[in-house]
Amino acid sequence: MIWNTLYDNLPYLLHGTWIALQLLAGLLAIGLVLGLALALVEVYGGRLARVCGIVFERVFRGIPAVVLLLLSYYGVSDFIEIPPFLAAVLALGLRSTAYQSQIFRGAIQAVPVGQMMAARALGMGRVEAIFRIVIPQAMRHAIGPWTNEFSSELKATSLAYVIGVIELTRQAKYIISSTQGNILIVFGVVAIIYFIINRLGNIALYRLEARMTVPGFERRRA
Amino acid sequence: MSTVLRVESIVKRYSDHAVLNGVSLELARGEAKVIMGPSGTGKSTLLRCINHLTPPDEGRVFLEGEELTSENINKIRQRLAFVFQDFNLFLHLTVLDNVRIGPRRILGQSKEEATERALTELRRVGLEDRANYYPAQLSGGQQQRASIARALAMDPKVILFDEPTSALDPELTGEVVAVMKQLASEGMTMLVVSHEVAFARSAADKIIFMEGGYIVEEATPEVILRNPRSDRTRGFLKAIGEQEAV
Amino acid sequence: MSEFLDFAAEHLPYILEGLPTTLALWILAITFGFFFGLLLAWCRIYGGRLAYSLATVYVEIFRGTPMLVQMFFIYLGLPEIGIVFDPFTAAVVAIGLNTSAYQAEYFRGALLSVPSGQMAAAQAMGMSRMQALIQIVLPQALRRVLPQWSNEAILELKFTSIAFAIGVTEITARAEKIGYQTFEFFNTFVLVALVYLVLTATVAELLAWLERKTYVPGVTARAG
Ligand SMILES: Nc1ncnc2c1ncn2[C@@H]1O[C@H](COP(=O)(O)OP(=O)(O)OP(=O)(O)O)[C@@H](O)[C@H]1O
Ligand SMILES: [Mg+2]
Repeated sequence: MIWNTLYDNLPYLLHGTWIALQLLAGLLAIGLVLGLALALVEVYGGRLARVCGIVFERVFRGIPAVVLLLLSYYGVSDFIEIPPFLAAVLALGLRSTAYQSQIFRGAIQAVPVGQMMAARALGMGRVEAIFRIVIPQAMRHAIGPWTNEFSSELKATSLAYVIGVIELTRQAKYIISSTQGNILIVFGVVAIIYFIINRLGNIALYRLEARMTVPGFERRRA
Repeated sequence: MSTVLRVESIVKRYSDHAVLNGVSLELARGEAKVIMGPSGTGKSTLLRCINHLTPPDEGRVFLEGEELTSENINKIRQRLAFVFQDFNLFLHLTVLDNVRIGPRRILGQSKEEATERALTELRRVGLEDRANYYPAQLSGGQQQRASIARALAMDPKVILFDEPTSALDPELTGEVVAVMKQLASEGMTMLVVSHEVAFARSAADKIIFMEGGYIVEEATPEVILRNPRSDRTRGFLKAIGEQEAV
Repeated sequence: MSEFLDFAAEHLPYILEGLPTTLALWILAITFGFFFGLLLAWCRIYGGRLAYSLATVYVEIFRGTPMLVQMFFIYLGLPEIGIVFDPFTAAVVAIGLNTSAYQAEYFRGALLSVPSGQMAAAQAMGMSRMQALIQIVLPQALRRVLPQWSNEAILELKFTSIAFAIGVTEITARAEKIGYQTFEFFNTFVLVALVYLVLTATVAELLAWLERKTYVPGVTARAG
């Protein structure tokens, strides 16, 4: 009968998984765009930009994800109505921005300065050199740490539970309260789903890293 | 003369490639022997087989008549010191602690006793003023002298040296060679892999010439350096620029 | 602004009463994680096939699934088979098991990064393998791992807030309570965010100090 319960509830779990994936995609996208922008501003911008960037990073990495979620849902609701899903994407997205900007900053700084100079010597403008020469190399340095960021954000999506986003973990909680029991099995299955998504994501990112590899950039960790 | 170290027909193979093909040698008390030979000939492997850092495939080693076995190896190593090419001082310990850790933690001496011993040995190698430095803060020559002090503090019966000066800048080899000469003159029993001909000439009782995992010849420095029996020894010495005119 | 200060003055004390719980949760969990993580790393490097496999599976599972799910599993699930924890203990166990998997990987890397000559030199003096590992390799590995370990410890400090989901009345849970009493959620959560910022910054300072204090030239690349 455990299997019946699971079978009956599978659609809910899959729907929860789908929501979790949307949340993950949204927050990673925000983090990617804003994080890269922040990193560029920090590396190539003036002092003020750098200071602002570092303060942003410090703040968003110093506050627990749970608190950021509560703040962006309940806190923001003091002023305007915000759906939990949007609150979660924003909170986790900005937090991911802080982590990703650190990754991209390190990656950009790992590109030898000679690359920029050589590009400028060819007659490229600064911005063109950044986008044509520096960023393509930086991305190859960044993808390893970015894979870790992917994993940790996948797991962080479960925290959206605390503001009522009906993602995978909350679906599990609903199933447990409606079926009275089977808690170990249900959470076991949920854990397996996260585990598999994490694995698939990592495999895809390793593939991507391998595809992006050119001689001089081989540095896969074991 | 009593034999302190006896090595009997050591054989060592890596996969099917034999590095040592039955090497035997003896060291009497107070004797210093220098092993020379081309690179890749098995000199380091021989030393590491002698104290079982690399267990030999065949052959036996005796220290003061006692055979090395996997049971007594840690006890025997306390009396059979090893000085490495790249020093291998313990990186997280000061020079004093490097020298003191053996007497204190392995021989079980009191802290005072071990400290005293360590300071004595540091004085002996001229490093008492570097006692509180970390290895990374010393020059290569100083590091090697500290590692010799570490070996001496165990009160060893024999010290094995594996190319103790070859990782050093030329201007730093002198200070290490001086310490080793002094040890030899004080009667320390030493087996030294080294191409320092100056050291061999003045401090060695015998020079052993090795090639291809065999001992080709063993004789006094005068004989080997002036008039070696084997052409291969002659060729090697010529290659390192040290064959003296007859 | 002064309105926020008044709010903070009124409610901060109640939130801070959760500080001992948060800190106890954190310290117990990372301490457990330290020793268990070390054991796992040990099994993965020096263990036999079985120890290696078990440790590897453990690390993969705990790093591959969310902490909140692990916490529910332990707090809500284990009672089904007769293992009942109060919320605080369940949280310590969950965070401790989780962090041990991460710490294990850092320890493993650090143990493997100690140059092999260190072991050879220790054995050449007559130390047993175990003695050499404990007296020579481990002290160097721990110094090397400290920067990563500090990151992990601070991450876990923030993760203690997850315990609020199973009813541990630590800082975040107390803040939520105030939120519902005052209906000033924004001020409440800004306040608790500031508390965590100060907390994480202080801990980061302490760990940086520890790093400087245990710094030995030549063991780690740079001073903290
Ligand atoms: N762990 C090992 N595995 C496989 N082969 C090895 C190993 N250690 C040494 N060898 C091989 O054994 C041979 C002898 O090496 P050894 O280091 O003893 O030479 P050596 O006489 O000390 O040379 P050098 O003067 O360069 O130090 C070499 O061919 C080397 O490649
Ligand atoms: Mg050698």
